[in-house]
Amino acid sequence: MRRFIFAFTTGVLLVTAPAAFAQTVGFAEAIKILSASCGQDIEKYCKSATLANNGIGKCLQENQAKVSQKCNADRAVVASLIQERLAAQAAAPKICDRDAAQYCKGVKQGAGHILRCLLKAQPSVSAKCNTAIDLAGYR
Amino acid sequence: MNKIFLAGVSAAFLAVSASGVFAQTKLSRNEIINSLQGAQQEVDVSADELQKAAFENIQKYPGANSPGNLPLWDKLASLRQFNVEITFDLNSARIRPESYETVGLIADALHTPYLQGQTFFIVGHTDATGTREYNLELSIKRAKSVREALVTTFQVPGEYLKAVGLGEEQLRDPSKPDSGINRRVQLINVGYR
Repeated sequence: MRRFIFAFTTGVLLVTAPAAFAQTVGFAEAIKILSASCGQDIEKYCKSATLANNGIGKCLQENQAKVSQKCNADRAVVASLIQERLAAQAAAPKICDRDAAQYCKGVKQGAGHILRCLLKAQPSVSAKCNTAIDLAGYR
Repeated sequence: MNKIFLAGVSAAFLAVSASGVFAQTKLSRNEIINSLQGAQQEVDVSADELQKAAFENIQKYPGANSPGNLPLWDKLASLRQFNVEITFDLNSARIRPESYETVGLIADALHTPYLQGQTFFIVGHTDATGTREYNLELSIKRAKSVREALVTTFQVPGEYLKAVGLGEEQLRDPSKPDSGINRRVQLINVGYR
């Protein structure tokens, strides 16, 4: 819980951070934030690095001492916000178990059918499950 | 040399005009999901078979241009799919930074329950400038590079992603073989395997 709050507050400190209550970010959003914060450093130190093999991340890590403070700080925050999102995605099905049983009886498993049903049933769905869906970035 | 230079210029031009289009209709995660979700039929084409077919096509029908559709293509044409423009350094498999966000959007789409558990072909295509052999090899490297970016930086489970390069063997617009419209990365949902 503590870690969670920390991630949230630092997330707000990011000028480019997304909507007020987004406590996790997806990969596209992360790229947007990092290209603003780290774009110049990547241009300077990682010109030949690639996204494959995690090249850009590795390169920024290796050049940590030279890379701008903002880039280093935002990189850490974004990394943790992404992990929060992946964790939220993994946790959502279980958290929404009861809601699914109650509001999505007979809905087929897989291919996002249950999620689609829960999104439609949002007003009735429990706050816990709705939050889980938010954190998973599924809306 | 002249030809290479020209290719560079037209690539730059394409990037500019494409970003102009993007400003109006920006690519979104949900657009990718909508195009890819809903795999229905089973497809009995493997990535290896498709890759092999491209090499055989060059051997069987040598010459400056491919004669037309790859034999296996009909089986894939009706599947859920999405074409996306990803820019690479010239003659290289290095994804250009302006395309990072696009690859991130693809990753975000693949991380949703709508697409999880289904297998996708990542198919690289070039235009017809240059030799067919060279284009085939380059497109294979580029498709692999996109796959690797998704699997490493973007943490998409690798067992669901297969990279295939088709070079200029399967043009999007055969009437304009050298047109940039043919350069694309195509995601094809081949269903639950």
